[in-house]
Amino acid sequence: MEAIVVEKLRKQFDPPKGPVAVDDVSFRIAEGEIFSLLGPNGAGKTTMISILSCLLKPDQGEAWVGGFSVTKEPEKVKQLIGVVPQEIAVYEDLTGRENLAFWGRMYGLGGQLLRQRVDEVLEVVGLVDRQKDRVGKYSSGMKRRLNIGIALLHQPRILYLDEPTVGIDPQSRRSILDRVKELNAAGTTVLYTTHYMEEAQELSHRVGIMDHGAMIAIGSQAELVQLVGGRTRIDLRVDRHLQLVAEQWQSLPGVHSLSRDEDTGLQLLADDAAALMPRLLESARALGVRITEMTVAEPNLEMVFLHLTGRALRD
Amino acid sequence: MLRALLVAAKDVRHVYRSRASLVLMLVAPLLVTGAIGAAFGSGEGFEIEATRTVVVDQDRGAGAGHPASTDASADGGAGAGFPAAGAAIRAALGSPELADLVDLTTSPDPQSARAAVDAGVADVAVVIPPDLSEALWGGSPFGDGEPGPATIQIYKDASRTVGPGIVAAVVEQVVRTCQGAVAAARSAVAATAAHGLDDPAALGALASAAASDFLTRAQSDPGLSLRARPPSVSTTGPERAPNVAAQVLIGMMVFFTLFGASVPARSVLDEHRAGTLPRLFTTATPRSLILGGKYIAVFVVVLLQSIILLIAGLLLYGAHWGAFGPVAVLTVCGAVVAASLGLVTVSFAKTPGQAGAVSSVIFVFLGLVSGSFTGTADLGQVYSVLRRISPLGWLLEAWDNIMFGGSFSDIVLPVLVVLAFSLVFFALATFFFRRRYA
Repeated sequence: MEAIVVEKLRKQFDPPKGPVAVDDVSFRIAEGEIFSLLGPNGAGKTTMISILSCLLKPDQGEAWVGGFSVTKEPEKVKQLIGVVPQEIAVYEDLTGRENLAFWGRMYGLGGQLLRQRVDEVLEVVGLVDRQKDRVGKYSSGMKRRLNIGIALLHQPRILYLDEPTVGIDPQSRRSILDRVKELNAAGTTVLYTTHYMEEAQELSHRVGIMDHGAMIAIGSQAELVQLVGGRTRIDLRVDRHLQLVAEQWQSLPGVHSLSRDEDTGLQLLADDAAALMPRLLESARALGVRITEMTVAEPNLEMVFLHLTGRALRD
Repeated sequence: MLRALLVAAKDVRHVYRSRASLVLMLVAPLLVTGAIGAAFGSGEGFEIEATRTVVVDQDRGAGAGHPASTDASADGGAGAGFPAAGAAIRAALGSPELADLVDLTTSPDPQSARAAVDAGVADVAVVIPPDLSEALWGGSPFGDGEPGPATIQIYKDASRTVGPGIVAAVVEQVVRTCQGAVAAARSAVAATAAHGLDDPAALGALASAAASDFLTRAQSDPGLSLRARPPSVSTTGPERAPNVAAQVLIGMMVFFTLFGASVPARSVLDEHRAGTLPRLFTTATPRSLILGGKYIAVFVVVLLQSIILLIAGLLLYGAHWGAFGPVAVLTVCGAVVAASLGLVTVSFAKTPGQAGAVSSVIFVFLGLVSGSFTGTADLGQVYSVLRRISPLGWLLEAWDNIMFGGSFSDIVLPVLVVLAFSLVFFALATFFFRRRYA
């Protein structure tokens, strides 16, 4: 059984000249699956979540959530879903408990069930001790956890998480990823958007890679890596002249594609790592550059994106 | 419906937990009212305190050879002589109509009168010179002489402005009336002489009679009203005048309820920006209930604001508002129109900042044209028409009516007009909100 079916969705803002946020996208998510939408900022992930949350109407195409049309039966769709928005959408002048109680009522809970669910969610997101404090006094990580907790109150069958780990500390990120796995283990279908390749790799049963509003690849991690075609990833760090090195190595025979880190890091997709590495060392010596670190690894989703678009995910 | 009330309760709590909102909604109108009250004086309900006035009347009358009287009230109507101007000034300042404004005493000489002012026993001294009547009547009952130089001295406490100003205005009014009486006497004499009568005694008597008659009429039938727009109340009982505090505070309340309404109304934009409104729209609660809750919140916030201000006005300034029933109706009516205005000004805007700027301009304009700052003062025919383009003008008119002792029947028309305005504003706000969020 499929939890979400998306057929040829298209959404353009401010037509006819505005940007096309989602362009002819189709995919399916099975019941009980964690499906990640991976892509850089502006790829169309949030617009896709907004359409599937019945916040935006598509210009073309259709989507069904739990078998209900998002355009024709939005009220039924909303009863099935929990949405964790990218921005922290909570009331800072209310306490954590007051927030949960308010949102629980808006989801239709009440009485003893509401109190029970609020207690349970406070436990799940680790805010029992701070439940009576105003949210304005919470740390960013605590707000993020409350942001997620709100979407869990009514025990939705399908959970959307739109970049839920942006701007938080590693500990809170770890906590959120663990919670997502636990929820999925309990039967919740998860649609997760991120531009962090590691999160998509760790969580997802399948990944859809989006770029400029289009779905450019879809499949399990193994299936996507196959797209790279047996190539090998080489991570390098050099002590200087990163720009010059990148330009030189881009045109070396055997380098399929190359991306740069912020400071000294380079990632190469090599047709044959063993044959390429001597050429890299030779080139570095000629440029007067010292290679300080070199790692050979299997290709990951980052390399898939690089392979498909010629750009790094963070570009 | 319960969920709409939940949204409303959350918004109301948000507003009343904000110190900035409380200052704008409650402290500012009370402070402005207090400041205006301080400008008038410190009497209960801002009534102007009676000005302690000392009069030194040295006026000798119209002079030798003329049948002048020294007491206008005793002799002025008899036609036996010209009325004494000094006595006329004394009579005007001591009239029952000015009893609340002027506390009149007399002094035998200018020195003791000035000493009373210097000592703070009196606020103002009016020193009438001995030759005032002679100067006014031009030295001749026929009015053919030139007015002589005579100076009335107004000696006042420098710290007082309003009270001495009133006394000076009354004195000036009496002097002008006397000058009018001179003109009347001259006209009468000239007209009679043209018909051949040249007996000086008869002409003198005629002139005196004409002057006295003019003066008497001028004093008994001034032809001017201090209140240019009397309230249209139909009460059969004695007309009741509201105190200044009530009139000032009602204007401020009506004005500041607009800002009170704009705070929760702007929460639509604030929540949109913060992401909580889109998140609310992802819940199974219909959007109409969510926006309905916002409407209820705006109304409740303004209603509470109005009730608090009315009670504060009663307790702090001794304001009396009128009968409970009409006051309750107008309070609710004011909350409805303020809520509708708050919502409609926000519905046009795209950001909270834009909404704040636009609504402030609109509210100040409405406050100015409706009379929130000027009360019911007569500022001309154009203004009296202009204020009716604003629902607040109608609302203030209704408040004025009940503060003057009016009943339900006196506020029916203004209330209907205000509600009609509100309906239009609510419809406009709903149209724009639906277009954006539906």
